[in-house]
Amino acid sequence: MNAIEVHNLRHQYSERVIYEDLNFSIPEGSICGLLGKNGQGKTTLVNILMGFLKPVGGRCLVLGEDSHDLPPATRTRIGLLHEGHLAYEFMTISQTEKFYRGCYPNWERDVFFNLVEKMGLPHGHKVGNMSCGQRSQVVLGVIMAQNPDLLILDDYSMGLDAGYRRLFLDVLHDFSALGGKTIFVTSHIIQDLEQLVDTMLFIDQGEIMQTGLDDFMGSFHKYVFVNESELSLHKDDIIKGIEQRGDQVSLYSFAEAEQVVQHLTTLGIQVKDLHKVDMTLEDGFIGLMGKY
Amino acid sequence: MLSSLLLKEWLKLKHYFIAALLLNCGICLKIFFDIRQQMHSEHAEMVWYQAIHIQTVLYQDIRYLPLVTGLVLAAAQFVPEMLGRRLRLSLHLPTSRVVMLFFSLLSGFLLYLMICGLDAALIYLTLKIYFPVEVAASSLPTMLPWMLAGLLAYFGGVTVLLEINWSRRIFLLLVFAVLIIMLFSGSGYGWFIPALPWLIVLVPLALLSVFESGRRFQERGV
Repeated sequence: MNAIEVHNLRHQYSERVIYEDLNFSIPEGSICGLLGKNGQGKTTLVNILMGFLKPVGGRCLVLGEDSHDLPPATRTRIGLLHEGHLAYEFMTISQTEKFYRGCYPNWERDVFFNLVEKMGLPHGHKVGNMSCGQRSQVVLGVIMAQNPDLLILDDYSMGLDAGYRRLFLDVLHDFSALGGKTIFVTSHIIQDLEQLVDTMLFIDQGEIMQTGLDDFMGSFHKYVFVNESELSLHKDDIIKGIEQRGDQVSLYSFAEAEQVVQHLTTLGIQVKDLHKVDMTLEDGFIGLMGKY
Repeated sequence: MLSSLLLKEWLKLKHYFIAALLLNCGICLKIFFDIRQQMHSEHAEMVWYQAIHIQTVLYQDIRYLPLVTGLVLAAAQFVPEMLGRRLRLSLHLPTSRVVMLFFSLLSGFLLYLMICGLDAALIYLTLKIYFPVEVAASSLPTMLPWMLAGLLAYFGGVTVLLEINWSRRIFLLLVFAVLIIMLFSGSGYGWFIPALPWLIVLVPLALLSVFESGRRFQERGV
């Protein structure tokens, strides 16, 4: 069964069309990362999935229900992390726990305090007086103590240092290991996603490409070579992305090395010392989506 | 769930409620001292003439206090929810949007009612010391339009804060402002008495605008 299903999704702001016909699905139990450059509609999609934006057309089902009209029982199964780690800043840690305990019948008090007590702050500490990292721990504690089946995390890494980001990853790994839990996540720190997700959604100009992380990292390649000709390179069916610094070129392609060399030769490029190098997910993202 | 919703509202409101309560008590006390001073420094007949024949309302100082109280309570409850669009946290709670908003408003309304009740009681008791009970009792229908204006200011304040569209926000602001000005347009004792039953029935209709702004926030809250 799918935790998220998007069918023929269409959305626009005034005359500006964001999506025309978006389709994808996220199976239960998977960890899916949504990647896209700024302004490609990531936030819009997350807002639609979270139920805070009614799409102009199409359907968006979350745990089998329309995302903009989720019944309360379904909402208990969904944990949301809003961009900027939104929390009630007028509450203290203990007031936050008391408030959410009354809202969720399956609330796990120990899970909340185990996460929050790592910060060593007194329970009477006000959320509004916390650093971004400390607040993120409270928010994570709130979400985890709900024991949801689906997590939607909107840019969880925003404003977090390496330690807090790593802590987030540890908790999300443990959560995922419980089985049957689905995570849908966006982040600007792509190397973190590489350690977490099993499925990628690349969004670009209203189109979505869905792929397994291993499939993508296995089939998409980064080649480096020296371009000895004056000719410049352009994207085409074989060349998906280029980065050039002086005569040193990084080229991204789904094709194997021989096919790339043959293609470059056909284009009249004088290639010297072309070889495949290790590629990070961030390299792959830049190679596929471009820098701007 | 209900106790959690009430807890959240109380945490936001408690300081403002106590401040509003102290301010209202202070003004009522001032009115008491003013009337007492007047009674001691002037002839009783002169005070009677001013209060009854000229219809000088001796507790005029309290006129705009419910309005301010309503606006303060609305801001105390919903400004924190709108900063960073935190209302999304409440909208994701496992209860319906209408129920969540209803209990938020109920919390503010009950505290507002307590403050108005205290005002009404203090003014009534003050007047009862120096005037016949009929004069003291007439303070209630006289103050009621002011208190309804405060209630409208509370609902209007919440509606305007929740609304996401600026032109709609300005329109709603104007509508509520006109309704509130109407409730302050008269003077003298009990000038609104014939319309009071209708007003009491109609003011809760303002709730519909709050729920509609809440719906619009949820569906277009980006």
